[in-house]
Amino acid sequence: MKRATFKYIELSIYYVLIFFILREWLVPIMQLTGTGHMNLILIFIALSLVISLFKIHFIISWIVKGLYISWFIVRVYSDTAPFSVEGFHFLTHDLWTNFSSVILADWTSITDSFRTFLFFVLIWMLIYLVHHWITIRMNIFYFLVITVFFIAILDTFTRYDGSFAIVKVVLLGLIMTSFLYVKRLFKQAGIQKDWKKYILLLMPIILLIGLTSSVAIFLPKASPQWPDPVPFIKSATGQGEVGEGTTVSKVGYGDDDETLGGSFVADDQVVFLAEAETKQYWRVETKDVYTSKGWEKSDYFLNEFSVFEQGDRIVHSLPIGPEDQTKTSLIKVVYPYDFIIHPYGLKSVYTEEPNVELFMDSNSEKITPVINTEETVLSNYVVEYSKPTYLYSNLKKPTEEIDSFIRERYLQLPNSLPDRVVELANQIIKGKETPYDQARAIEDYFGMNGFRYDTENVAIPSKDQDYVDQFLFDTKVGYCDNFSSSMVVMLRSIGIPARWVKGFAGGEVIDRNGDVSTFEITNNDAHSWVEAYIPNVGWVNFEPTIGFTNTRSIDYDLEKTETDQDETLTVDEDTEPEETVEKETGSEETTAHKGSKLFEIVTKSLTQGKYIYLSILILILILILVLLKYRRKWIPKLFMKFKGNQPLDESSLEKHYLQLLKILELQGIKRKEGQTLTAFAKEVDQKFETNDMTQFTLAYEEFVYGEQLSETDFAKLKECWEYLINRGSG
Amino acid sequence: MHKQIEAIIENIEKVMIGKREVAELSVVALLAGGHVLLEDVPGVGKTMMVRALAKSVSAQFKRIQFTPDLLPSDVIGVSVYNPKTLQFEFRPGPILGNIILADEINRTSPKTQSALLESMEEASVTIDGETLQITKPFFVMATQNPIEYEGTYPLPEAQLDRFLLKIKMGYPTAQEEVEVLRRTQHNEAIHQLSPVISIEDLLELQEEVKSVYVDDSVKSYIVQIARATRSIQHIYLGVSPRASIALMKASQAYAKMQDRDFVKPDDVQYLAPFVFGHRIILKPEARYEGITTDGILGNIIEKAVVPIKRYAQE
Repeated sequence: MKRATFKYIELSIYYVLIFFILREWLVPIMQLTGTGHMNLILIFIALSLVISLFKIHFIISWIVKGLYISWFIVRVYSDTAPFSVEGFHFLTHDLWTNFSSVILADWTSITDSFRTFLFFVLIWMLIYLVHHWITIRMNIFYFLVITVFFIAILDTFTRYDGSFAIVKVVLLGLIMTSFLYVKRLFKQAGIQKDWKKYILLLMPIILLIGLTSSVAIFLPKASPQWPDPVPFIKSATGQGEVGEGTTVSKVGYGDDDETLGGSFVADDQVVFLAEAETKQYWRVETKDVYTSKGWEKSDYFLNEFSVFEQGDRIVHSLPIGPEDQTKTSLIKVVYPYDFIIHPYGLKSVYTEEPNVELFMDSNSEKITPVINTEETVLSNYVVEYSKPTYLYSNLKKPTEEIDSFIRERYLQLPNSLPDRVVELANQIIKGKETPYDQARAIEDYFGMNGFRYDTENVAIPSKDQDYVDQFLFDTKVGYCDNFSSSMVVMLRSIGIPARWVKGFAGGEVIDRNGDVSTFEITNNDAHSWVEAYIPNVGWVNFEPTIGFTNTRSIDYDLEKTETDQDETLTVDEDTEPEETVEKETGSEETTAHKGSKLFEIVTKSLTQGKYIYLSILILILILILVLLKYRRKWIPKLFMKFKGNQPLDESSLEKHYLQLLKILELQGIKRKEGQTLTAFAKEVDQKFETNDMTQFTLAYEEFVYGEQLSETDFAKLKECWEYLINRGSG
Repeated sequence: MHKQIEAIIENIEKVMIGKREVAELSVVALLAGGHVLLEDVPGVGKTMMVRALAKSVSAQFKRIQFTPDLLPSDVIGVSVYNPKTLQFEFRPGPILGNIILADEINRTSPKTQSALLESMEEASVTIDGETLQITKPFFVMATQNPIEYEGTYPLPEAQLDRFLLKIKMGYPTAQEEVEVLRRTQHNEAIHQLSPVISIEDLLELQEEVKSVYVDDSVKSYIVQIARATRSIQHIYLGVSPRASIALMKASQAYAKMQDRDFVKPDDVQYLAPFVFGHRIILKPEARYEGITTDGILGNIIEKAVVPIKRYAQE
C-alpha cells in the first residue's frame, strides 16, 4: 500500500513537470497562430495526465477525453449549447463534412473545428508518448532536446520571444532528468524506493541546478558570436534582399527580376508542350528598366492593359511576317503559369474556353488570359503567328531617325553604371558602321573573350556593385541573365534602343508527326535574351548567351559579295540551338498567400488522378511489408496481448523465459550459442539500465540447472518479465 | 559467497595482494579434493600462497624442496632399522601431511616426481609392502618454473593429469607491488595469520561439495567441451574422461564457493581453461604458429552450445 502511494506521488511529480514543459510548447503555438482558449487546452492536458497517472481503463479514458473535446468544439465553434441536441447536430454535421473533405483530398475546405480536433488528438498522443518515456524508458532526454529545438527555432524565425521559455524548459528538464536518473538508479540496483534515500539523492542535484541556473541568469552575457543567420537563410530561399555572397535558387520562370545573380539548381518540371514545325524561342514579356542589380517593368503607359478577344489580331511592338507564312502552334499547358507563350510574329490566340479575354500588359507585353476579370490558366491554346523576315538591305541601311518615345524608354541606364562598361561597348563596335553591325559585334563579343557559361558559382553583385559590370570585368562566369543584361546595357550605352526579353528556349522534341513536332519545354528552358531596335526594321532579337542560338530570318536581298562570310554562317535559319542547361532564375513562390494557389493545384491533381490514390495504397502496402520485415519485434507483443497473459509459475517459467529470449533477439539483442544466461542477462541489463534480466535469469537458472526451485517470488518475477517484454518490444 | 570459504580467501588476501583469483582457485581445488600446479617464475609468491592457505585452515603444513638429487624416499619416507628394538621403524616422509608444498617439482628426477604423483593420486604411500593412508585433508600444491628454464625435467602428460588445476600467478601490478613492499617492510604478514576454519569444518565442506547438484544438461555441456578438444586439428592429444570428471568436481566446488547448490554453465566456462589447459598437448606445428591452449579452449567454449532448457532424456 505504501509502495503504491509512493509510486503515485512520484509519478505525479513527473507529470507536474511535464505539464509545465508542455505548456511551453503550447504558448508559442497559441501566440503565433492567434488561437485562443489556451486555458481550456491546458485543462485538457492536465486531464489526460491525470487519467494516465491513475491508469484509468482506456474505454473510460477515451470517453472522458472525447467528451471534453466535443464540449470544447461545440462551445468554441458554435452558438449552440454543449451537450444539447443542436450541439450534437453541429458536431455530427461538422465531422461528416470534414470527413468527406479528407476523403476527397479537399484540404482547403477543412474547418477550424476539425483542425482543433486533430490538435487535441496530437496532444493526446504526445501525452501517451511522454507516459511511455517516463514509466518504461525512464528517459525523457529526446523530448527535452526537441522542446529546446522547437522553442529555439520559433524564437529565431518568428516574432515569438522564447528567451525565458528556454530557461524554464532547461530548468524543468534538468530537474526531470535528475528525478528519472535517480529512479533508474533505484531500479538498476534493485533497491526499494523510500523517501529518505530519494530526497537524499535528489537534494544536492536540485540545489545545484538552482544555484547554477540563478548564477547563469544573472551573469553578464556576451553578444552573439556570429551574425544573425536569418537574413542569410531568407536570401538563400529566395526571400532575401540584395546581399553579398552567392545564393542558390531553383530554375524556372519568375516574375521578380529585380535582383539577378546567384547559382541555381536544375528543375525538370515540364511547363508546356508545344506542337510546331520548327524549334523556336517562346516569348513571354520584356522589361525595360535596368536598375544595376536587375530588371524592372516601367509604367510608361498609364493604361495598364490592352484587351483582346480570342482570334483578334493582337497589337504589339514586334514586326509580323507575310500572310502566306502564317502558321499555328498548339500549346498544352502543363505547369499552370498564367501567361501566354508565343513565338515571334504573333498574330492571334485561340482557345476552346469561351469568354476568355486576353489582357496584354502595355508595358511588358505579357499576355494573360482572363475570365470574368479573373486571371485564369488555360489548359491549352493555339497561337497563330507569322515569323518576320528581315530584309538584309534594310538591316544594313544607314540610320533613320528613331521615334523619340522609343529612345526615351529604351536607352535608360542607371547613373551608377561604371564608365568602363561604356568604354568597352565603344571598343567592341569600333569599325562597325550600322546599328545592326554594331549589335552583331556585341552579340559575338561574349563568344571569344574568355566568358564561361555556368549555372553554379555565379556571383550576386554586392551593394555598390553593378550586375553587368561585375559580369563583364570581374567574374565572366554566368548564365543567360548575365549575357542578355550585359548586351542590353552595352547596346543602350552606344545609343541603340534595346530591351530585355524573357521566355523559354525551344525545348526538346519528344514526338514527331509529319512536319509537326511536339516540343517539351521544362523549367530548365526558361531563358532571357535581347531585342534591339534597328532603324527601318524594328525590334530584332539577339542571342548573346554562349551555347544558345536564336533564329532570325534574314532575306539576303543584296549581292552575295557584299555579305561578309561569318554572317551567312551564323544567321542561318533553323540552326538547331545547341543548348546546354537553360536558365533564368525565378524565385519559387513560397510566401503563404501564394501558397494557397499551389495548394489548389495539388488538390486538383489529387482529385483528377485515381492513380494517385492507387499508388498511395500500394505505398501503404509496401510500408506494411517493410514494417513486417524490420519491425517484427512488435508482433510478439501484439500476439501476447491477444493470447492473454498466462500466469507465471514453475510450469510456465521456461516458456516465458524462452519467449523473452526470442523477443530480445528480434530487438537485435541476440544471445550467442556459447554465451551463458548470466552473461547474456548482464548484457541486456546494461543495455536497458536495469537489473530485471539478471533477477529473472537467476530464478530461471535455478530452475534449469538446479535440483529444484527454491522459494520464488513469482509476482516479482512477473514484474521483471513484463518490464523486459515492454522494453524488448520497443 | 559461502561465509566460511570467504573467510579463508580473505585470510589469504591479507598476505597475497591482488591475487584473489589464485586464492579462489586454490580453495576450489582444496574443496574438490584435488591438487594444484602453480606455474610461474620464482619470486612471485607461489610459496607464500601455499603457506597462507595452510595457515588459514590450521592444517599441518609440510614443504618439500625438490632438487635433482632428491630421492623418492626423501618424499614418502623410509624404514630405518632401530638397533634398540631390532626392528625396522617407519620414518614418514614429508608427503604424510595435510597441505604439502612441493616446490619446484620439475627440478627433480622423473623417479622422484612419480613417487610424489603416485601418492597424490592414491592418497596413500606404500613402503615395504605396507600401505599407509594419508590423513585427510590431503592437498598438494606443486610449483614449477616454466619448462623453458634450464635444468628442468618436464613432467610427463600422464602425471600432469593428476593435478586438478594448473594456475599461473603472474606479476603484480605496480600499485600492488608497492603494497607488497609496504607490508613486508617491518615484518612478514604471514606470521600473523591465524586459522579461520578447523580441519573438521573443512572436511565437512568437502563432503558438501560432493552433494552440489549437477544437472544432466550441465554434465553434457562438460562432455561437449571435453569431446571438442579431441577433434580439433591443432591438438595432438585431447582431454581424457578423467579430465571431464575433474572439471565437474571443480565446478561443484566453485558453485559451493558461490554458496549455490547447483552448477551453472558459467562455472564450467570459467574453470575449463584451468582444468583442461595442462591436459591438452598441442601439435608442434601449432605451437610454432603461435597457437596456445588457452586460445583454443577459448574458441571451444565460445562455440559450445550452452544448455538453456532442462535436460530431456532422448
